[in-house]
Amino acid sequence: MTLKRPFDRIETIDIHGVRKRFGETVAVDGISLDIRGGELLILIGGSGSGKTTTLRMINRLIDPDEGTIAINGIDTQTIDGIVLRKNIGYVIQQIGLFPHMTIRENIGLLPTIEGWSREEIDSRVAELLILVHLPPDQFMDRYPKELSGGQQQRVGLARALVMNPPLLLMDEPFGALDPLLRRQLQDEFIGIKEDIGKTIVFVTHDINEAFRLGDRIAIMHEGQIVQLGTPRDLILNPADKMVSDLVGSDRLFGHIASLTVSDMMVPASPIISGEMEVQSAIGVMVQSGSKIAVVRNRASSFSVLLLSTLLQMRDEVKTVLEATDPPFFLSMDASLLSALEEMKAASVSLGLVMKDGEPAGLLLPDDLITRLV
Amino acid sequence: MIDEITAVWITYNLTERTIEHLWIFSIALIAAIVAGVAIGLFIYRRRRYASPVFSSLNAVETFPDIALLVLLIPLAGIGTVPTIIACVLYSILPIARNTYTGLIFVSPDLLEVGRAMGLSERFILLKVRFPLAFPMIAGGIRIAIVFTMGIVTLGGIFGAGGLGAPLQTGINLIRPDIIFVAGIWVGILAVILDGIAGGIEASLKRRFGSW
Amino acid sequence: MVSGLLLTPILQHIVLAYTALFVSIALGIPLAILALYSRPLQKIVMTLANLMQAVPTLAVVAIVVPLIGIGFWPAIVAIILRALLPIIKNTWIGLSSVDPVLIASAEGIGLSEWEIIRYVRLPNAYPAIFAGVKFAAILANSVAILTAMIGSGGLGSLVFEGLAGVNMMKMLSGALPAIGIALFLDASFSWMERRLLPRSGQSGLE
Repeated sequence: MTLKRPFDRIETIDIHGVRKRFGETVAVDGISLDIRGGELLILIGGSGSGKTTTLRMINRLIDPDEGTIAINGIDTQTIDGIVLRKNIGYVIQQIGLFPHMTIRENIGLLPTIEGWSREEIDSRVAELLILVHLPPDQFMDRYPKELSGGQQQRVGLARALVMNPPLLLMDEPFGALDPLLRRQLQDEFIGIKEDIGKTIVFVTHDINEAFRLGDRIAIMHEGQIVQLGTPRDLILNPADKMVSDLVGSDRLFGHIASLTVSDMMVPASPIISGEMEVQSAIGVMVQSGSKIAVVRNRASSFSVLLLSTLLQMRDEVKTVLEATDPPFFLSMDASLLSALEEMKAASVSLGLVMKDGEPAGLLLPDDLITRLV
Repeated sequence: MIDEITAVWITYNLTERTIEHLWIFSIALIAAIVAGVAIGLFIYRRRRYASPVFSSLNAVETFPDIALLVLLIPLAGIGTVPTIIACVLYSILPIARNTYTGLIFVSPDLLEVGRAMGLSERFILLKVRFPLAFPMIAGGIRIAIVFTMGIVTLGGIFGAGGLGAPLQTGINLIRPDIIFVAGIWVGILAVILDGIAGGIEASLKRRFGSW
Repeated sequence: MVSGLLLTPILQHIVLAYTALFVSIALGIPLAILALYSRPLQKIVMTLANLMQAVPTLAVVAIVVPLIGIGFWPAIVAIILRALLPIIKNTWIGLSSVDPVLIASAEGIGLSEWEIIRYVRLPNAYPAIFAGVKFAAILANSVAILTAMIGSGGLGSLVFEGLAGVNMMKMLSGALPAIGIALFLDASFSWMERRLLPRSGQSGLE
């Protein structure tokens, strides 16, 4: 038996003019938001900002008073609530593992209802426990109360993933853990996220968590979205004082203004020859653990090479030179801030820093933002 | 001493009386569990009946047991049947109340996750609320066991047989030997049953209790 | 008139039940307080209370006979043996379930043991004690009918005479007033509960 799927993958989630009030209080006050397939979108805000209500309207735990939410263009109101929710994973801070069921039974609950065989369920449960770093033979038959908070939250995540839902909703999943453990689970989650490649909507009130995990961040306040953007957008162009306070722009700007490009560049290595064979270039880059290489051309000019581009074009090109991009040059003592502005204006995400005609380093604004945070 | 006990035991057929006693007790308890859980469930589904049903059951609970057995005479005469009816009437309240409370007081987080997983209300009731209510229901049944044991014994005065009958004989004849043997025996039985029920309740709590 | 005939058994019943109830309160509450300070006593009292609660009333009433005979006082003892338990149990639960932080802070501001009981533990225990007394009163009302078997007199005598003579009217004339008293007790305790324990919604343990 297979699960009825109203959508196999998420192209878009289109939240349009959504409003929700509870009695006298307006929880969500006419928000519109486009979530892109495959991204991790953070909803961040204080308590009462409407972030959790927004999340719960996506899987119709709450129905909006006004406005529509469409997944891949299909209005969720036209999808049966139970079918919808079986296709959307849900993880909350309180976890909510059923205390009377073992870990196997908790994770295998939906497959059991869907009529999977015992073997299918066991292998799926084991697979998911490995994904969340819990040895299956140790954990399968234990009860939730025999697990620590962090282990329970891992099981909660595994349970949400069991039907392989294309969309995952997470409501402060790491909020109840102590800071060290929270950090560890965030790191693990970043790895898991890359493995599973899902669209994720993630609610938090922790700006550091938002920067660490989010592709894009929607800042909510009093039921409205104040600003939506990448971490970089929010830090460099905060919409208002509230946002700049939240993301700490002032603090960062104060710091950033005094920096030069050389302070924040990363080493330019490896430097390879433009005539190198594609296969050996891949070998060199993989061995050095670098996703970007600087390519030296014949006329002592330089270009940059992304490992991902090289991998994509490996069958079409003979030498690496054909896969390179023209560099965006920066000088070492330029102010970091103006360099970033220039790069933003030129919409490039990689700068090659030169010193005395030789490559001295690379400037990667996206990476830099996370490092600063 | 042993000889006296044996003499009383044989003369007053205490083996048969015990079997009879436990038989009435079992029927009454099973009926009370079925009725109590059913009423608890019914009230859970129809909340507006909670208040009237519980106040009437509460009122019955305050009736002296003998007075209730007297009231049942015009309806059911004397003997086993009215004794069982009285047991059930007293035992429904703790079972129904605990069933209702157990079904209602389930952590909202579990219910939210259950709904978010796409579980139906019926599934949540049967597979989440009910199992989690087991320790509460067992607690109600344990109270009912004590009530039922007491009233089955009392039924001996009203012609229901069981171990109450030799006790009555003992009191009427002022015969310490009968009173001691029958009284202590029924006391031990009651304490054992209560102990078993307590053990079951505790293990259910370990198994199904929230953490 | 019936009411004239009934007056004596009703009065006997009330005297019987409430003498026993008051003795139970007078014994039960101090015993529960003592149990707070003596672990062995607490163990003995609570274990006995739990075991005794399971024993059928008829067995308790019967066993009193070979030990102290029949009549009014043995009946009182039998009723006390029943009514004492819920009072001790509830009082102890109420007294011992005080937030330890409250006790620590009471000690911190220099209250003596007795003052802690008087001003911290007892007020916390009132709802539970109240519920225990209510339950004991209803039990006493019930057991006081049964004790007619061992010669206590009262409403129970009418029931047992009626039972022996297959006289339904006589049985009812014993049973109905007892039910009336029970309902009256329940109602007045509920009323007192609302008046005396204004912490609404916080009913005692039953």
